[in-house]
Amino acid sequence: MHSAPIIQLGGLNIDLSAVFMLLVSMIVVFVLCRLAVRNLSVENPSKLQNFMEWVVEFVQGIVGSAMDLKKGKPYISLGLTLILFIFVSNLLGLPFAIMTETHHPVSIFGQEIVTTSQVALDKLAAEGKDPHIELLWWKSPTADINITFGLAIIVFVLMNYLGLKHNRKHYLKHYVEPYWFFLPLNIIENLAKPIALAIRLFANIFAGEVLISTIIKAGVFGVPFLAAWQGFSIFIGALQAFIFTILTMVYIAQTTIHEEY
Amino acid sequence: MSLVWENMVFSIIAFLILYLLLRKYAFGPLFDVMEKRRALVQQQMDEAANSRTQAQTFVEEQKQALATARKEAYDIIEQARQTSARQADDILSGAKEESVRLKEEAARDIESEKNKAVAALRNEVSSMSVAIASKILEKQVDEKEQEQLVGQYLKEVGDKQ
Repeated sequence: MHSAPIIQLGGLNIDLSAVFMLLVSMIVVFVLCRLAVRNLSVENPSKLQNFMEWVVEFVQGIVGSAMDLKKGKPYISLGLTLILFIFVSNLLGLPFAIMTETHHPVSIFGQEIVTTSQVALDKLAAEGKDPHIELLWWKSPTADINITFGLAIIVFVLMNYLGLKHNRKHYLKHYVEPYWFFLPLNIIENLAKPIALAIRLFANIFAGEVLISTIIKAGVFGVPFLAAWQGFSIFIGALQAFIFTILTMVYIAQTTIHEEY
Repeated sequence: MSLVWENMVFSIIAFLILYLLLRKYAFGPLFDVMEKRRALVQQQMDEAANSRTQAQTFVEEQKQALATARKEAYDIIEQARQTSARQADDILSGAKEESVRLKEEAARDIESEKNKAVAALRNEVSSMSVAIASKILEKQVDEKEQEQLVGQYLKEVGDKQ
């Protein structure tokens, strides 16, 4: 089992690899988008601009399938950021992973890494295991359940906020439908949405990375499987980004739009 | 795997920063350009529709102009044909009249010449017969008797004929 390099700073547990990978994802997405809009042209778009416009139209399609595109216009930027950020994050862990192995406490920037503390090493030794800890530095940020939960919390807050803002009466009413005693069920349903979002994304990407590290242990014989699985993982990454985005749009549509029957 | 709430906060912050940056520096301009292109395409389509209706109107006008020109040409030809027919008739009738007139004139001339010739002959004959008679009879005959005589002879000649 790989551990995260966590340092304590001002009473906060800071996961360096998570922060680092989040930064990498942000930079990759931002640079990609900036390159795409570098020489914007109405009549003669560059290849990258064409690609970006295709992505925009794709997201417009997603938003349009969940709600009326006129009402969904403000969410296109959100959907674009979601799909690009999650897709890039999913792919980051595919080509390689960086990990360090340590048998003694390590410190970085003058701070001790909590997960490799003497206490943790002693605990492993006490359990009769080899007292060493592997620190995972480069991975998909979405292979960390905390990150995916963060994204899901954004969606959760956003959908409930938008529901309260644009559709208050029907949004509140839906909690006691069809009968008042369905209230707990409806609350659970509402809470289950972000949890399902977070766990689905995390589990898919994490499982992919676990399988990659497992195949790597097979050595030379694993190369064809590794190639096949990495190809499939690209597909999974795209699919999960798409699912996350479309579910976000569907949830927003559910809470904000009251359709007259 | 353990839940670290700080990571959730980081990911939320990271996503929000990325969202704001992208919206300001990437998607805003991109949406503007796409909107401009949409407007451009719309405008071009409108223009195409306009020019098509214009072209149709022009074609219609041309057709009408062509039809008018054709009709005018037909009229002109018809008029020319009528004029020429009338002129031909005029010329023909003029020629006919002329020929009739010429014929009549010729006939009249012939008649008058004939009369003249007849009168001249008659004079000649009378004077010659006087000469002959005077020679033969060698006798003095006065003018009145002679004329009577000649008239008588001529009458006899005319009756015999």
